[in-house]
Amino acid sequence: MFKSFISLLFVFIFLFVSTTTSANDEEVKQLVEEVSKMYISSMAFLFKNQWLINQKGGDKSELFSDKFVNNIRREYEEKYQEDFPKANHHVKKILLQTMVEVMEDNRPILTDADIAFKGIIPATFASQLGRKLSIKGIGLKIKFTRMIEGIRNKANIPDAWESAIIKDVIKDPKIYYDANANVAGKAVYRQFTPLPMKPYCLKCHGTIADNPLNKGKDRSQWTDIDMTGFKMENWKITDFGGGVSILMERSSLK
Amino acid sequence: MGKCLVKVIFFRFKNILNTMLLYCVSLSLSAATIKIGLIEYPPHIDFKKPLSESKLFNYTRDVFKKHGITAEFVKYPNRRGIIELKKGNIDLLLPYDDSDKSVTVLSNPLFYSVPGLCFKKEKFIPILSALHRLKGLEIAIPPGAPVVQVLKDSGAILVALQGSDIINRGITLTQRGRLDAFYHPSPLKVYHTGNKRYKELACSYFHGYESGVFIATSPKMTKQTFTSVDGILKQALNELSYEYYFAR
Repeated sequence: MFKSFISLLFVFIFLFVSTTTSANDEEVKQLVEEVSKMYISSMAFLFKNQWLINQKGGDKSELFSDKFVNNIRREYEEKYQEDFPKANHHVKKILLQTMVEVMEDNRPILTDADIAFKGIIPATFASQLGRKLSIKGIGLKIKFTRMIEGIRNKANIPDAWESAIIKDVIKDPKIYYDANANVAGKAVYRQFTPLPMKPYCLKCHGTIADNPLNKGKDRSQWTDIDMTGFKMENWKITDFGGGVSILMERSSLK
Repeated sequence: MGKCLVKVIFFRFKNILNTMLLYCVSLSLSAATIKIGLIEYPPHIDFKKPLSESKLFNYTRDVFKKHGITAEFVKYPNRRGIIELKKGNIDLLLPYDDSDKSVTVLSNPLFYSVPGLCFKKEKFIPILSALHRLKGLEIAIPPGAPVVQVLKDSGAILVALQGSDIINRGITLTQRGRLDAFYHPSPLKVYHTGNKRYKELACSYFHGYESGVFIATSPKMTKQTFTSVDGILKQALNELSYEYYFAR
């Protein structure tokens, strides 16, 4: 009887120790941070490689499959001066796979040698990635968002939590966490990372003088419609542009 | 801690039981060969090339092979495939993106199709969330195609095309410049790197309006077989999604 009890106890201890389901708040926070940095790195890579994306013809293989992941890895390590996260959690693994899938979805336009501006900019990539992740049912939602006023893509409109956080971010720009949030009856972990405005953001969102379409043209012929077809917002480098909002269902961490 | 331990044990045993169940059912399935109808759906299934070059064919074959089930594939034109499925002459039909409620599909989609617009290259609009750019454009719609609400609200002039072979006709009219754009429920079918016929077109997408592309099942399939096949696909997609398999 005692022997059986001990054996059973060992089995229980083994199952308990080997499990990865009991992630504590610190582990969750680290995971969400890694996911956020991976996402931001992918956007940064696309920013830097608009020349390759919009190039008519040529070798585009760096934008696809494992090469694309390696480029995100390099971007991450350069940007954050730390090792790229290990794919030791299904959320990170699926995030990288989904990035590859999004680029593959865009392969026809990316490899279309007749089209110059392909429309694959960080914001559209982020939006497609976020959408694809949300339908995969892994409990991860990522959104590149900002204040509701003047948001270009209605799919990226902030929810109540994001709207409230954005007000705080404008006053005090830093990363905000909520470890005890609840969305539609589900316990979730939320994080908002503000992204500082960069000169390349102003090419579309800045003043008429920032518009690359006006380069070399007489001022009378300048347009305030940017290359994506939207009216430019007249933002300045000191303005708040937007941020990355991550929502992770706690049940998805099991 | 005690509660947590119970939870852990429950999840562990649930997973083991699920795997065992799937294994047992796949053993019973393996007694018979599964007959699968294929519909052309480029670039996933392309009848112009050998089947072994179609990634969806390879993925599906391997999924069943892993469970010891031999899949026998038959190529069909779209409508014929559905008729054969309804008659029970085939067990599965793929890929299936019809909205016919009388056809039962497996729970998990293989991939998603996104509707979009195909333009003549000189008139290409890459980002369709810039809806104001569609205002006043003449855009052809194939009859019966579910048109996304944002397009209806965009101020574009929507023209219903008549006649047979509507999609090809719409594309030809767009290429000739008689239409500004052509609405396609799944532009990927025509706008992909393997298709040279439509090289004068470029397509962009209404992201956020995707719909699942599934495997349809025969109405004669038993509940037990359905559960088994459904479980096999679900497990396969969890291990390696078809979309990632296609992208690699």
